[in-house]
Amino acid sequence: MAQRKPRERDMLDSMYSMLALVFILVACVELCDAATVVDVYRLIQYDISGVPFGSRFATLNHHAGSLHFPSGADLSRTVVMIPLRELNITFVREYVSRKQPLGGLLFLLPEMFKLDNGGSSKGIQDKQMMKNVLVELERLLVHSKIPYPVYFAFENDEIDAVLDDVKKNDATGQPATATTGGFKFVVPTSEPKKVASPTITNIQGWLQGLKADGDANQLPTIAIVASYDTFGAAPALSVGSDSNGSGVVALLEIARLFSLLYSNPKTRGRYNILFGLTSGGPYNYNGTHKWLRSFDQRLRESIDYAICLNSIGSWDNELWIHVSKPPENTYIKQIFEGFTNVADELGFKVGLKHKKINISNPRVAWEHEQFSRLRVTAATLSELSAAPELLESTGGLLDSRHFVDETAIIRSVKLVAESLARHIYGYEGKNIQIFADNSSLAINPSYVRSWLDLLSQTPRVAPFLSKNDPFVLALKKELADHTDEVNVQHEVLDGMFTFYDSTKASINIYQVLSVTFDLLLLLVLGSYLIVLFSFLVITTRGLDDLISLFRRPPSRKVKTA
Amino acid sequence: MTLFHFFNCAILTFGPHAVYYSATPLSEYDTLGTSIKAALVYLGTALVKLVCLATFLKVSENDNFDPYQELLKALIGFIDVAGLYFALTQLTHRNISQNHKFQAVGLGWAFADSVLHRLAPLWVGARGLEFTWDYLLQGLEANANLVLSISLAALGSLMWLRKNKPKTLIPIIYACAGIVATMPSITSYLRRGMGWQLPKVVGFELFTSLVMAFISWQLFTACQRPSA
Repeated sequence: MAQRKPRERDMLDSMYSMLALVFILVACVELCDAATVVDVYRLIQYDISGVPFGSRFATLNHHAGSLHFPSGADLSRTVVMIPLRELNITFVREYVSRKQPLGGLLFLLPEMFKLDNGGSSKGIQDKQMMKNVLVELERLLVHSKIPYPVYFAFENDEIDAVLDDVKKNDATGQPATATTGGFKFVVPTSEPKKVASPTITNIQGWLQGLKADGDANQLPTIAIVASYDTFGAAPALSVGSDSNGSGVVALLEIARLFSLLYSNPKTRGRYNILFGLTSGGPYNYNGTHKWLRSFDQRLRESIDYAICLNSIGSWDNELWIHVSKPPENTYIKQIFEGFTNVADELGFKVGLKHKKINISNPRVAWEHEQFSRLRVTAATLSELSAAPELLESTGGLLDSRHFVDETAIIRSVKLVAESLARHIYGYEGKNIQIFADNSSLAINPSYVRSWLDLLSQTPRVAPFLSKNDPFVLALKKELADHTDEVNVQHEVLDGMFTFYDSTKASINIYQVLSVTFDLLLLLVLGSYLIVLFSFLVITTRGLDDLISLFRRPPSRKVKTA
Repeated sequence: MTLFHFFNCAILTFGPHAVYYSATPLSEYDTLGTSIKAALVYLGTALVKLVCLATFLKVSENDNFDPYQELLKALIGFIDVAGLYFALTQLTHRNISQNHKFQAVGLGWAFADSVLHRLAPLWVGARGLEFTWDYLLQGLEANANLVLSISLAALGSLMWLRKNKPKTLIPIIYACAGIVATMPSITSYLRRGMGWQLPKVVGFELFTSLVMAFISWQLFTACQRPSA
């Protein structure tokens, strides 16, 4: 016996450790059996020279509420679901600007904003209203510091059902808390981390002009530039179809047209054409700045002028040429006249806007200002009549495919290509259509459309685009197809911006019941077991036994006493 | 839902077994050993059953009710009866009365079944945040199963252990035992062949288990009378 006991104990010990192991394994099983899982897109989180902006948190674990909450309710542990169609901007402003505590915010965008939801144009009637609300909302959210998670999601049947339930609960005056149950939103992500040294990638392509024999001088260069990255309230939704997807599409189409001309020695012009797709546009055109700095002096001096394309996808009959040199300048005059002539033929107006550069101001509102700072003649073609503020008109939530008109882009392409060609081939002032419709040099609308569709589905916020992002590679390949020489330049986005990751997540929506229910259930189960016990005792041993069960303890006390 | 909910469900699933043991004379005669042995027999039986199911049954891709497969499954289900026979007759128990023996065996049997089939899903599922009624229903199902197991053990002890029983009752005993033994197949048919929802199925199980318990109790007392 004495020998057996230690062995038994050993066995028991090993059994216990086995059991413990099993329990640990079982406890590790991932609990992801939520009723609904919805993709959500987080509000951007960034710092400008150390000052925090945007949503500062990512993890979410709170009950759901709606805008119909009873007044005076404590919302510090509630995620307020706000569908865009009933968004009350004053409520949001009040909560954001007064820094009132909220558990979180979940904005529900209409389904038509979905990235892969092509150009279907249902619900046009409330587009305009939605536009104003969304612009205001985005401006508010981007420029304030919000100490709780803010997410955007697209409406679908499941989330609408949840919203209806939540509204019903709120209407009865019972805000969702731990004691009343309801829906619980859980976003299980880690805390956002800083994006370490965000890179920006510039892509340039050269079309070499034809050098006359024995001409030692460098050919003059004309640059066509468009910045391709975006910035918006939700980085994973910032596709920027108009700003500046339209400019990129126009640039690619112009490159395609001129590559056709330049592939034949007879029609090869005596100008080099430089195409530049720059990044960092929303951040004072930081990429353009770096790109130009990387040029050597001679090359920079050889640039005759540069045309920057910015937001040319939704205009009706007026485009603007923004310059920073006075309009009396001969080069500016020449460019402007070239453009107005073509525009007159095409039946729309081109206006000239002059805005002086203030060198001491770090804000660079237009891409051409980076050129002008280096004394290169440049102009920006845009539908915007005034310079946008920092981080505005950079392709936010609203800037989707629905609000971009591809015919506007085609007209812009025609304007730029035609006036450029006339300048290159010396047809200025003559009424010759080089890129006439139905000719072999006609603008290809399906090419424009397909690139516009691709750009409208690709979020392009520079810090979240890696060096070898498929989209960047696609741009490079496309430019390589149309030009002789393509270079890719990777630079670190410098300056005052810091970004934080986790732009995308999934929200788990659980239907939960309250603690009260649990307590009640425990009570019911307890009484069920007691009744069962009494019943069994009575049937098998008799009532007296049951009564004696309760009598025994006091009798024992009596004995011990 | 939460750990709280898990405990509630666990109480509903395993509580009645404990209550049954402590409330009836089983605890007084210390029949725990018998119950544990029965549970071990159940484990062995379940293993044999699994092997048989894996060998003879095709894996159905859809949830349809296939009569042939279900018949096979019901036949394999009778391995349970064999296991119960072994537990009742072949195990050497300390001298406890037949009366307590079948209860102890049925209790161990049902408890092992609950642990094997219900503990893991409960642990994984009922602790999740999402609330469903499924685990409470599962607990009720465990209750019904306890009653059925004890009924089957009672009928089994009548069939195999009691020698001098009234001749007229023998066919009834066998019929009842057959019905009780095929209960899993019947519920499976109701769920998949008829498309019943879980609450309805559980209700049916509870009802039939009570009815069968009543019938077996009557049979048991009827058999006891002449011997007494």
